[in-house]
Amino acid sequence: MAGRRVALKAIDWVAFAERVPPNQRSMFNALKTRTDGIAAKLASLPETPATIDWSYYKTAVAKAGMVDEFEKKFKALQIPEPVDTQTNAINAQEVEANKSAAAYIEASKGRIAKYEQQLAKFQNMIPFDQMTIEDLNDTFPETKLDKVKHPYWPHKPIADL
Amino acid sequence: MFLYLSSHSHQTDAMHGLVQASRSLHTSSQSLAPVPPLPEKGGQVRHGLIPEEFFQLLYPKTGVTGPYMLGTGLLVYMLSKEIYVINHETFVAASIATVVIYGIKKFGPSVAAFADKLNEEKVAKAQEVKDLAMTSLTQGIENEKKEQWRVDGRSMLFDAKRNNVAMLLETNYRERLHMVTNEVKRRLDYQIALQDLHRRMEQEHMVNWVEKSVVSSITPQQEKESIAKCIADLKALAKTTQARA
Repeated sequence: MAGRRVALKAIDWVAFAERVPPNQRSMFNALKTRTDGIAAKLASLPETPATIDWSYYKTAVAKAGMVDEFEKKFKALQIPEPVDTQTNAINAQEVEANKSAAAYIEASKGRIAKYEQQLAKFQNMIPFDQMTIEDLNDTFPETKLDKVKHPYWPHKPIADL
Repeated sequence: MFLYLSSHSHQTDAMHGLVQASRSLHTSSQSLAPVPPLPEKGGQVRHGLIPEEFFQLLYPKTGVTGPYMLGTGLLVYMLSKEIYVINHETFVAASIATVVIYGIKKFGPSVAAFADKLNEEKVAKAQEVKDLAMTSLTQGIENEKKEQWRVDGRSMLFDAKRNNVAMLLETNYRERLHMVTNEVKRRLDYQIALQDLHRRMEQEHMVNWVEKSVVSSITPQQEKESIAKCIADLKALAKTTQARA
């Protein structure tokens, strides 16, 4: 019965914690406690089980052949390794997450481009004390007074003054 | 001027393909250059009426007093020749002018400051809006970048999950190993315990049986003889002890 082990990937929990957004912090904490529990349980079990002292039993047990039979069967026994059912699901989840992350990053980049465009507009604006009213209406279209809808001064509803 | 403009617009139609539409030549009387900023102060004026340029104009020829002499001469000429006739309107004008000039001199600067303040407030409000917009935009860009950085760490989550799965499998495997060993050991120990029990029971049974047989083999005759012997022994012992004591 040989014990085999795939190497566990070392996880930097500090760096991981930094990347968690505040609204998912509780989920992260739950994950961490669960992981710690599992790791503690694993550490508490020794790697190989206690060896059986066959010679002592051979002398002690009177029934002939019982110990030999046990020994033979014990040595021949192969304990099946537990089947891994979850890794595929996790891999599938990871692929999906990558896709949605790529989409989010694309959207985020679009947002950044929009913000930068507006920022450039503000930075390239002429200073307010050198603007005329036409310049102001060009830069901020919402300041343009609708002289067709309200033909008389002040060209906007009194409530808006 | 209109003829001039229309002739030029004919030219523009012909040259339409040569020049970009947004830069058509002379299509309106407005120049497309950016308007130069307004000067800080208006034109300098002496005595509120006469522009400074007039004095500068006459300075080379007549020096500092030239324009004043010109003004005085003109005034005297108009009065003497009765081009301007002094009547009651003159005094009305003089009184009104006095009051107006007094009012302007007294209240002018404060009114100007007030008007300037109104303008300043408008500009400051607009500036505030602009600054706020710029800071919020930069903040927004930073936040987006931060979120992108956060998203990049998603592989760690899946590594953690896979680690968990691996640890659980290993734990399970070890538990199975331990269980097998323990069970085999328990069975062997059970056999040994069973054997010990058997031996002990046989021993006890044998002892009991021997005791019982010995006790039953003592006949009444032997009992009487042993009791008599005991009494004799006791008497002898008593004699020896009495003697000593």
